[in-house]
Amino acid sequence: MKYKMLDGNTAAAEALKMARVKVIASYPITPQTVIPETLSEMVESGDLDAQYVRVESEHSALSVVTCAAMAGVRSSTATASNGLALMHEVVGMTAGNRVPVVMPVVNRGIAAPWSLWCEHVDTMCERDMGWLQFYCQNVQEVLDLTLIAFRVSEDARVLLPSMVCMDGFFLSHSMQKVSMPEQGRVDAYIGEYKNKNVYLDPTDPMFLSDLTGNEEYTEMRYQQKLALDASVTVLEEAFEEFHKEFGRKYELVEGYRTEDADVVLVALGSMCGTAMYVVNKMREEGRKVGLLKVTVFRPFPAEYIRRLVGEQAVVGVFDRSAGLGGEGGPVWYEVCSALRNQGNQVFHYVGGIGGRDVRAETIEKIYNELLAIKAGESGRHTEWIDVKDNALELREVAKNV
Amino acid sequence: MIKVKFYGTGGQGIVTAGKVLSQAVSLYEDKYAITVPAYGHERRGAPVNTSIIIDTEPVLVNSFVYEPDYVMVLDPGVLIHNVDVGAGIHEDSVLVLNAVDPDIVEKFRGFGFKTIYCADGTGTALEHIGLPIPNGSMLGVLAAAGLVGIDALEKALIDSFGQKAGEKNAKAARECYENHKKV
Amino acid sequence: MKTTKKFKVLGPVATQFGAATTGNWRLERPQVDFSRCTKCRTCELHCPTNVMEIKKDQEECVVINFDYCKGCGICTNVCPVQCISLVEERR
Repeated sequence: MKYKMLDGNTAAAEALKMARVKVIASYPITPQTVIPETLSEMVESGDLDAQYVRVESEHSALSVVTCAAMAGVRSSTATASNGLALMHEVVGMTAGNRVPVVMPVVNRGIAAPWSLWCEHVDTMCERDMGWLQFYCQNVQEVLDLTLIAFRVSEDARVLLPSMVCMDGFFLSHSMQKVSMPEQGRVDAYIGEYKNKNVYLDPTDPMFLSDLTGNEEYTEMRYQQKLALDASVTVLEEAFEEFHKEFGRKYELVEGYRTEDADVVLVALGSMCGTAMYVVNKMREEGRKVGLLKVTVFRPFPAEYIRRLVGEQAVVGVFDRSAGLGGEGGPVWYEVCSALRNQGNQVFHYVGGIGGRDVRAETIEKIYNELLAIKAGESGRHTEWIDVKDNALELREVAKNV
Repeated sequence: MIKVKFYGTGGQGIVTAGKVLSQAVSLYEDKYAITVPAYGHERRGAPVNTSIIIDTEPVLVNSFVYEPDYVMVLDPGVLIHNVDVGAGIHEDSVLVLNAVDPDIVEKFRGFGFKTIYCADGTGTALEHIGLPIPNGSMLGVLAAAGLVGIDALEKALIDSFGQKAGEKNAKAARECYENHKKV
Repeated sequence: MKTTKKFKVLGPVATQFGAATTGNWRLERPQVDFSRCTKCRTCELHCPTNVMEIKKDQEECVVINFDYCKGCGICTNVCPVQCISLVEERR
């Protein structure tokens, strides 16, 4: 087995190289900058046979790679935070034109307040735009899920783009031991890029993205919905094939010691590793806690949630974004909806935003609250699990009067 | 599970030091390590820290280190910034310090460390690589403290810095490994 | 006369800027050998933070605003007579 030490950014770049992307256009933004830097070095040194297009913004970056993919080559970009927000318009174009771009996104809060650090709000804002979304627990998953995303996105039954989301700094800048797949087997796994739908060809012109009236619009959205529905099966096949080829097992949602669990926490991203550590520790103390790790958030695997959560279990959902104005955050809504006929109590937690570390203690506190609720001992539920007491007393400024 | 924390100031290469250490134990000692660097507003001269977790099996925790078994201070100047390098330490936590001046060493003993390994990492770095960047040399002291083998460390330094600069750093590490003081 | 009063504010607001001057990023500072300086202004033109000023009529003919100089060393590289060197910053 060949191991390398990689941080999440470098792992993403390595995965794009292994997928043999032919066109890259990316605009640097912390904490993603290392991805375009590494790719440009690979292109410069000749390690990667691709065209690197320098662009003036993320909006242009995604436009370039979307059109390059329609012209017949595998292409990719990467972004984070405000960069993804600036891309928003094109995010819809890529999905609606059914272009299977794969894009690593390094999760970071969206200003204001200005933050460079981890939060899921950037990708959660794009969750209904018709892309698949993968959330990585560790650096190995950044590499693996990026490769898997290419295979799934480009499948003729799907033809939709994918975001591979990794937590800013906690993954993008965390160096970890990564098992490197062989290039030949990656080639066989992903296959060659082929245009399976629309294409750009000057000798055989086609008008793309024309104005669509309401007599067809609904149907085109419905096509996208059906593709996302179908992608569940394609994902399952791709995960199974990956397991056979490379030995690592992935699922849309992974149940970690959930079989007999009294309480279950649903989470995504790098905090899942810490949560597994806490689950093991609390299990040793005889407390029946489990974790549901959501690896694929779009399409949302509601069926998996129902299968993995026992009817008697008390459920907590950890959103790493605030879900402002709603009754809870985006992950909580999905879980509530999935379990609506099962009768579980589902509690919402917000934490880890703007880079606040999700400590083992934070997760243990949640489990203890849920266990107490399950035992009927206390109804205490701290929705904003790591907020400080002085939230309304933070800043004071001197102003002219 | 061994929990390690490095303190220094921006520009000294503590993030790189964390990467080299995790590479040494992961690729050359058959263990697993992850680094969780704490990036602030990136700029030179500001106090920074990085966390490293080492285990014989894959590391699940992805969180900063709050109760370190080993602490390494690359710049004693972090004291000016009121950094509490003794935060979360326990009775047997070991300090690796880039300073040999007895007054400075005693100041750091005040944080509650029983065992301190110290060396002139900056001087050694200047001598071998011509730059006042002590990350390579001080990793040698960490090896002397038993966290990583010096051979594994030398290999990782060459991997990280390339053959030429890597060998210079490896020499600096070896010198500090051999000429450190345990007080 | 202007008077000020303290107000509680919501969101990211400040009237004091702790990290606004970039001079405290410096690990090394440029030192000019004025006797060799030809006052050619090359350093002034190349300085990315625009902190160098040539004063032709002064003996200390290169004035550097150390509140903002980051110690990047570009001036030492571009100086055609190599009269600028970087020395360790001591605060």
